[in-house]
Amino acid sequence: MVPGDRIVEGNFRPLFNVIRAGNSIVATRIGIAEAGREGVKVIPLSGIYIPRVNDIVIGKILDHSSLSWGVDINSCFSAHLPAQDVFGRDFSPARDDMGRELAIGDLITARIIAFDRTRDPMITIQDKDLGKIPRGEFIKISATRVPRLIGKRGSMIQTIEYATHTRVLIGQNGIIVVTGRDLEGIKLAVRAIRMVEEEAHTANLTQRVKTLLGVSDASPSDNTHGTQPQNEAVGEELNEVEKGEKI
Amino acid sequence: MSSSKRSAIIVEHLRKQQMWESISKGKRLDGRDLDQIRPIEIEVGLIKKANGSARVKLGNTEVVAGVKVETGEPFEGLENKGALILSAEVLPTASPHIEPGPPDEETVELARVVDRGIRESEMLDLTKLVLISGEIVYVIFVDCSIINADGNLFDATSYAVVSALLDSKLPVFEIRDKKVVDTGEKQNPPIATLPVSITAVRIGDSIILDPTAEEEACMDSRITITTNSDHNFAAIQKGSTGAFTVEQLKRAAATARIKGEEIRIKIRELTKYGK
Amino acid sequence: MTQTRSLIDENGKRTDGRTKDQLRDVKITAGVIKNADGSAFIEFGMNKIVVAVYGPREVHPKHMALADRCVLRCRYHMSPFSTDTRKNPAPSRREVEISKVMREALEPTLMLEDYPRAAIDVYVEVLQADGGSRCAGITAASVALADAGINMRDLVSACAAGKVDDRIVLDINDTEDKEGDADMPVAYMPHLEQVTLLQLDGILNEDQFNQCLDEAVNGCKMVYEFQRKALMQKYFGNETELKEEQ
Repeated sequence: MVPGDRIVEGNFRPLFNVIRAGNSIVATRIGIAEAGREGVKVIPLSGIYIPRVNDIVIGKILDHSSLSWGVDINSCFSAHLPAQDVFGRDFSPARDDMGRELAIGDLITARIIAFDRTRDPMITIQDKDLGKIPRGEFIKISATRVPRLIGKRGSMIQTIEYATHTRVLIGQNGIIVVTGRDLEGIKLAVRAIRMVEEEAHTANLTQRVKTLLGVSDASPSDNTHGTQPQNEAVGEELNEVEKGEKI
Repeated sequence: MSSSKRSAIIVEHLRKQQMWESISKGKRLDGRDLDQIRPIEIEVGLIKKANGSARVKLGNTEVVAGVKVETGEPFEGLENKGALILSAEVLPTASPHIEPGPPDEETVELARVVDRGIRESEMLDLTKLVLISGEIVYVIFVDCSIINADGNLFDATSYAVVSALLDSKLPVFEIRDKKVVDTGEKQNPPIATLPVSITAVRIGDSIILDPTAEEEACMDSRITITTNSDHNFAAIQKGSTGAFTVEQLKRAAATARIKGEEIRIKIRELTKYGK
Repeated sequence: MTQTRSLIDENGKRTDGRTKDQLRDVKITAGVIKNADGSAFIEFGMNKIVVAVYGPREVHPKHMALADRCVLRCRYHMSPFSTDTRKNPAPSRREVEISKVMREALEPTLMLEDYPRAAIDVYVEVLQADGGSRCAGITAASVALADAGINMRDLVSACAAGKVDDRIVLDINDTEDKEGDADMPVAYMPHLEQVTLLQLDGILNEDQFNQCLDEAVNGCKMVYEFQRKALMQKYFGNETELKEEQ
């Protein structure tokens, strides 16, 4: 689909990246259209990350004022992380050194706790498995490819992790950090991730990734955590992350 | 007035660590050796309305240069020479950090350093481009538009200017009845030498050539060295807020001569110069 | 703009050999500038134009942001070597006006209310100009905006028609622009069937105006096919099988 293309005619419910034009539902972005019982949507193939409350993202510290850190979350808005989130209610700029906790350039895993049309997103690092990322290989992919990289119930990313002995931290905003003991494993994981990014819209991708990883079809590739929406699959990934210097 | 500023690109701490570790082992993050230059693509003659043009891709950095020839007064003090006027604009298409407007100090420095490399090396024999000494000379404009910026704008722009000049066909002007007339014939520009600029940056204690934008954001200091076909030095500029040791500079200069020759051969080949 | 020589010969051929309804050669490639969020390169006759889109992104300076929708900024700029006589790099009044009409041609299709307090920047850079550069620029900008994944109601396609030797012709070139009787650039949303840019330079009676407008809209529809092809080429390759298994 390209913008303006007619997807269906008639009384369907418009879901994402579509609008009603007269009697038809029309695509508003480049992507793959899906029409089902719940409605019609377009899965976009391009576009920057737009923040959503409860998304897990990986952000980069840009600067700080006396009350909060400014964080680049690879979106059109910078996020802010209040100092109180880290130091607690009785935070005092005189006593607590913000620059020492989180320095410019540090990467953090965070959750978006507030975002609406009137203000910049606010994030927290207080939950389990959130916080500064101490080490790992950093990659950026298009945020539109993240669902494909995670796969149904985490299947795609787990295939990659098991085959390369790595842990892959994925932010919904397209930022990824790969950790592992073995340099070769990390390199292979990165190649697999790039392959998914480039070929997300094609058929037989899972097979080609498995071939790249040298994995046979008999390997475990199904998520054993049960059925969950894709957002939560990311949370499951984070449960297995190496615990670094947690703040 | 020039003020300190933070680099527009803030490189992730993890990424910087990856870069240092990798460089200390002799490789860069994109897999290159420390002294390896990115693949170069050159396309000439793409702008038919210009007298000469070239599009250069140095890795992902992309520059288009165009040559336009007019006539006019010579520069003051240079009555016996044609005028060469070089300009460069980093287009707002080139990166998210550029804002449209008058050139900032980085862009001005870029244009002047590239200009010096071409002028001081005497790539064009400007004495051959005079119509009436002290009054009317050929004026050669070379304008560069940087379309995508991924580091090392100095070298990419320099190669684009050189290639565009090599591609040029200049009009043949004559003076008839005290007026300048275009005879309609074409001539090759009077090329005396091929200047090649090589830029190196220092990261930690290592010197690497042809930095990407990310490497430039992590650099301590930068040096751009232009050599000509005789392997002599024509222009040098040190940039950024760090320093070099004398030893590093001498080694960089020696490397610039060797790598300069490699690039010179490549430019000749890709512009089909002399064929 | 009265003509002094015949621009269409006795066989109906124009100065560049085309017939009166023929479009110049068009070639569009999407995604040519790595750093940009969306980009496109167009060759339209001898026009060579590159467009980069950055956005949605933060607005600087902050006070220029709008609370309920996105700010659209458009810059049409010609490189000094793009024209017959070298052009000074500083923006001319013509470039300022074209930047404005371009923005107004693209704005109707963009769903700017989806991105409050942000900005979308469209940079149109003309590397070689050859009559109809604003239409080529809008056409490429449309592709670049779609490439950037910005919500749009429709693509915008643009083409000019004009009057030459008293006849209505499609897509006038540089010579016809300078020596012909009238030049009418049009931008059009092909699915919604709405016109978003219309300008006229020259004299047309009512019949000629209607004919010219129809001709230009036809041209826009032809141009749309090239835009679609460019986007399909980048995103879907030559494959028609799209649905992946999971």
